[in-house]
Amino acid sequence: MAETNRGLPMIPNPLALIAELTHRCPLHCVYCSNPLQLVATKAELSTEEWIRVFQEASRLGVLHLHLTGGEPAARTDLKELIAAAREAGLYTNLITSGLGITESVLAELMQAGLDHIQLSFQDSRDEPAQWISGAKAHAYKVALAEKIRQLPVAFTVNLVVHRQNLDHIEEMIAFIEQLQPERIEIAHAQYYGWALKNRDALLPTPQQLESCSRSVEQAQLRLAGKVRIDSVVPDYYARYPKACMGGWGRRLMLIDPSGQALPCHAAGVIPELRFDNVREHSLEWIWQESGAFQKFRGEDWMPEPCKSCDRRTEDFGGCRCQALLLTGNANATDPVCSLSPDHHLIEAGRSAAKLDTAHVAWSYRTSMG
Amino acid sequence: MASAGRLPDGVLGVPRPELTSQPRLAPGCRWSTQGAQQVVLFPEGMIKVQGTGQSILELCDGQRTMQQIVATLAERYGTADPLKIAEDVSSFLEALWQKRIVDYL
Repeated sequence: MAETNRGLPMIPNPLALIAELTHRCPLHCVYCSNPLQLVATKAELSTEEWIRVFQEASRLGVLHLHLTGGEPAARTDLKELIAAAREAGLYTNLITSGLGITESVLAELMQAGLDHIQLSFQDSRDEPAQWISGAKAHAYKVALAEKIRQLPVAFTVNLVVHRQNLDHIEEMIAFIEQLQPERIEIAHAQYYGWALKNRDALLPTPQQLESCSRSVEQAQLRLAGKVRIDSVVPDYYARYPKACMGGWGRRLMLIDPSGQALPCHAAGVIPELRFDNVREHSLEWIWQESGAFQKFRGEDWMPEPCKSCDRRTEDFGGCRCQALLLTGNANATDPVCSLSPDHHLIEAGRSAAKLDTAHVAWSYRTSMG
Repeated sequence: MASAGRLPDGVLGVPRPELTSQPRLAPGCRWSTQGAQQVVLFPEGMIKVQGTGQSILELCDGQRTMQQIVATLAERYGTADPLKIAEDVSSFLEALWQKRIVDYL
């Protein structure tokens, strides 16, 4: 491995930049991965600041830019941002609920050079979609999907699955299939932020998971060559943790609406981290020098059983934010791991999941701006 | 199963390009560079393309037919057997088609 002049291993370039353009969102999804403390509209980076960030990202070696939020279309300068990102050489992916994207906005975004749209759905049915998102949006999304499909853009439909909708997973896949995306991403809710607040009503049963895996496999075979279906086992039911963000400070960088650079969207929950801001530092400096990025980079921070585990180069000790949220210690092995001394916390989470879903009192994600 | 104007079907139901197919990069997939390296960006990532692969993919502009692409490559590589070239081009495009990087008009 190449070394820097300080004798440290050279840090590879980040490959992707996740730009949380705003925390404003017309939806209130109960599994939203945004932090509980949302960034206010007046603190958001300006158009010029975002453009500078995209240019710096490209120079740093970033290839893919994921524009997300909140709802990125809540930014009225979205088309300028996409055009500038393309101009800088980045591949532009818009992660959207679809709300705020009218036919004319869509045409402008295409004109600006948008490469890929990832449209989220909450359900195949109108009523449960509204129950989960706290907003009437389903019919609008369906109509938008039809318009997107007419355009020469890569189209992915994203569906978040959980206890409340997994019982009709086959119906949901069939519903998405007729929207004709190239890809379907079946994403199990991840238990941070709002989803952690609502975990007891969202965490699936083992039976649901088993039946979901079967349905997904069947659909993958049936749709082979037509629609690609990506799905991962939710980590509460996995034996080993996920390689969160592909390893801390290893491939990805996230900029929040106020310009703070985070190694992961949930990293704000770790109290000992201090995040640097793109208003004060270049992306390159942040990637190389920011304490938050260095904190869990590599293996030096690892406790046992990670330190001597063969899997440490595959899962990098799992998710730091999950370790903090569940054990109170961000340095702990991700409790999802069956080898973790804190694994009982996951088992407790699984047994706390409420089977009675007749009366669910959601904490809906709040509005901002 | 080969029939007139059609190359045999590949494995796993991946359609083989026909001689009249006009392959191109699929929507949302495009050329870029990473340093001196030519790459194709697509939604989930990128592939580095060089050598023969690059020669093939650069000819996939949605205009040229498979037949024209094979003829161009046969001419470029002189002595190479056109049937072998057709076979290589088909396998290469099928692999990319499976990743949804290429489609055929």
